[in-house]
Amino acid sequence: MIKRSFFGLVKPKLHYETIDEAPAEPVSISTPKQVKFFIDQVPDENGNGLIKAGDQVKNGQKVAMTADAPSYVIASRAGQISEISDFVGLLGKKYTVVTIDVASGQAAADDDSFKAASQAPTLENAAGFLAGLPGKPDFTVFFNPDKKVKAIVVCGADRDLLTCTNQYFVRNNIIAIKTGIDLLCRMTGISNAILVVPQHLEQVAGSSGAIVKTVDSEYPSAHPELIMQHLLASEDNASGTRTGIAFFSAEAVCAIGAAFNTGQLPVDKIVTVVTKDGQKRLVSVPIGTPLRDILSEFNETLNQGDRVIFGGPMTGFSVYTTDYPVMPDTDAIIVQDSSQVTERGDIACINCGECVRVCPANIQVNQLIRFLEAGQYEEAADQYDLFSCIECGFCSYVCESRIPVFQHIKLAKHTLESMKAAEESNA
Amino acid sequence: MHNTLKLTVSHAPFWHNGSSISSKSRNIFLASLLAVIPGCLQYGPAAVGVVTLAIASAILWELAINFISRRPISIGDGNAAVIGIVFAMMLPATTPWWAVVTGTFFAVVIGKEIFGGIGANPFNPAVLAMTIVMVSWSGLFDFNAALLNYDFDFMAVYPLVLSKSFGASAVDSISLVDLLMGKQIGGIGATFGLGLIVAGVYLILRGYIRWEITVSFLAGIFVAALGFKIMDPTQYAGPGFHLLTGYSLLGAFFLATEDSSSPVNFIPMVIYGLIGGILTVMIRNIGVHIDGVLYAILIINLVNPIVDKIRPKALGKGV
Repeated sequence: MIKRSFFGLVKPKLHYETIDEAPAEPVSISTPKQVKFFIDQVPDENGNGLIKAGDQVKNGQKVAMTADAPSYVIASRAGQISEISDFVGLLGKKYTVVTIDVASGQAAADDDSFKAASQAPTLENAAGFLAGLPGKPDFTVFFNPDKKVKAIVVCGADRDLLTCTNQYFVRNNIIAIKTGIDLLCRMTGISNAILVVPQHLEQVAGSSGAIVKTVDSEYPSAHPELIMQHLLASEDNASGTRTGIAFFSAEAVCAIGAAFNTGQLPVDKIVTVVTKDGQKRLVSVPIGTPLRDILSEFNETLNQGDRVIFGGPMTGFSVYTTDYPVMPDTDAIIVQDSSQVTERGDIACINCGECVRVCPANIQVNQLIRFLEAGQYEEAADQYDLFSCIECGFCSYVCESRIPVFQHIKLAKHTLESMKAAEESNA
Repeated sequence: MHNTLKLTVSHAPFWHNGSSISSKSRNIFLASLLAVIPGCLQYGPAAVGVVTLAIASAILWELAINFISRRPISIGDGNAAVIGIVFAMMLPATTPWWAVVTGTFFAVVIGKEIFGGIGANPFNPAVLAMTIVMVSWSGLFDFNAALLNYDFDFMAVYPLVLSKSFGASAVDSISLVDLLMGKQIGGIGATFGLGLIVAGVYLILRGYIRWEITVSFLAGIFVAALGFKIMDPTQYAGPGFHLLTGYSLLGAFFLATEDSSSPVNFIPMVIYGLIGGILTVMIRNIGVHIDGVLYAILIINLVNPIVDKIRPKALGKGV
């Protein structure tokens, strides 16, 4: 944990992880016995889904609840579906959990439905097969008729601290990124591709063929919202119209390139694992590997009160079970000993202004939090820019009263959004 | 997905920079000792009595309010102790015990707790309390009368009274170095200028007080005093004198910078400080009161919510 510096006159600075000149190869772990996937859809109550317990799945097979469902997962290992259950995630979001008992040896067959589709690199095929790839590429932006996508931004910088997945791909696999970007441009007909990298990778990124932009090493400059602001500001944007931008992570672009080139869907994810002793390792794991298997690989034991974080220390989320699997967008797994867990307080804001000075979105957090604590979410949104928040978590990090500001903001946004959704569905 | 191991689950971020209200209070408290200890050496055991009584009674008032209002015990954050010591810094060493206890009652209970406790007070609690007791028992806080029985090796007249009553010529002989080194009478922790400056600079460097407020407050005093001096050099004392007498330094480093009653954005902080400094000198030179710092700070506390509306545009808002 990075502590407040002795001199507090300057704004606190958090620096992104920078990857070494020659990073160590990611450690592979032994094949897990089970893999689990979260499908962004509630299980069918009558059990009339496309899949049921006992079904066999192949390596790289697309698993969805219904034939035309927009959300699906890619089975990273072949085996038999042993359980389909439901799961309530963050902010009450409902998922279906598909558990696959991994088959060993010869029983593992490769799925070949993508092989045929890979001959024609079209957006439909990409959206139909690739959304479950590591890095979680999002193709839905291309199908939005209201907002035409004008540029593709590939993020070679990592969003959160301690993670270096994207940097790893830029450093080691710039050719694959080039292939992926070329494919994306061909599929979408968009010629404007921008690769955003940290400054120290600018040289390497040059060979990608895309326009290279750099972000500095201070958190949260690699945040997509800030990158977008930055790009829009530098572009000649006389008409004032906000152009649509499609964001992809470097890992996702690599995976897209590899998928179309080989006809095989990549299913292994690069994750930074930070153990209690502070040691960081790059690990390559099949998507869906439960936390338990990763921990046992590094002989890490969890005790009562420890905290396991999926994602970075600023924006990740903590999990309550070791069954939780690696997701396509899990860039880091951080294990904190119970002694490293900072208590959050229930003291009111003392108006010290630290949050206002660190906020990258210029929000008056000190005023905002007063409305949020009182539950006056609409006033907070109207008067104090609730929806300008880019969710970097810096305000909670510096808060002297240790108010969970970020949590209040997320809750307020969620409440307002669900109110809006309810109003729309009643209209 | 069930097992008996209970992990800590909480919301992001999972790091904290380790700052806390108690560490802030501790630093402000210790820094203020740089001015309080020389004051105690100057005024002897009586001053020690006033300071310790002020701190203790402030803490006890807060504890009492915690019990009465059935709120969690909040004296651990150290804020009550800071209010107590800052209040004591303004008092003459001869303040009777009941005035100290009443003062801390006004500071902690009326100034802070009835508004909802820490962070909710619209005025600096210590300044509010000091103003109330000063208006109520003006005789007690007339420094010339209060410190009459002391025997000093310097002129034992409150400098601001001199300049107010007899004009600039009366204070021309007072050297600024003497004022800086505490060779003047006044509040226990308000006279040793050097200590206050060192303490204030320490707090600024550590980020516990906001330098914009301090600098603009001092600049306001300097500019206003300079203006008066240019207007009428025989009647008004110069900026150096105004900066080093009365509660000027105490106000700039400890009073105006109180978190809850001061703004947080850059431009508002500058306006807030400048108004405070200018008002201070105006009250001293053309008002009826001898020192203007307390009233000036109460007034800028009052305008704080309005000036703090001057804020930068949030991301994605406006053009």
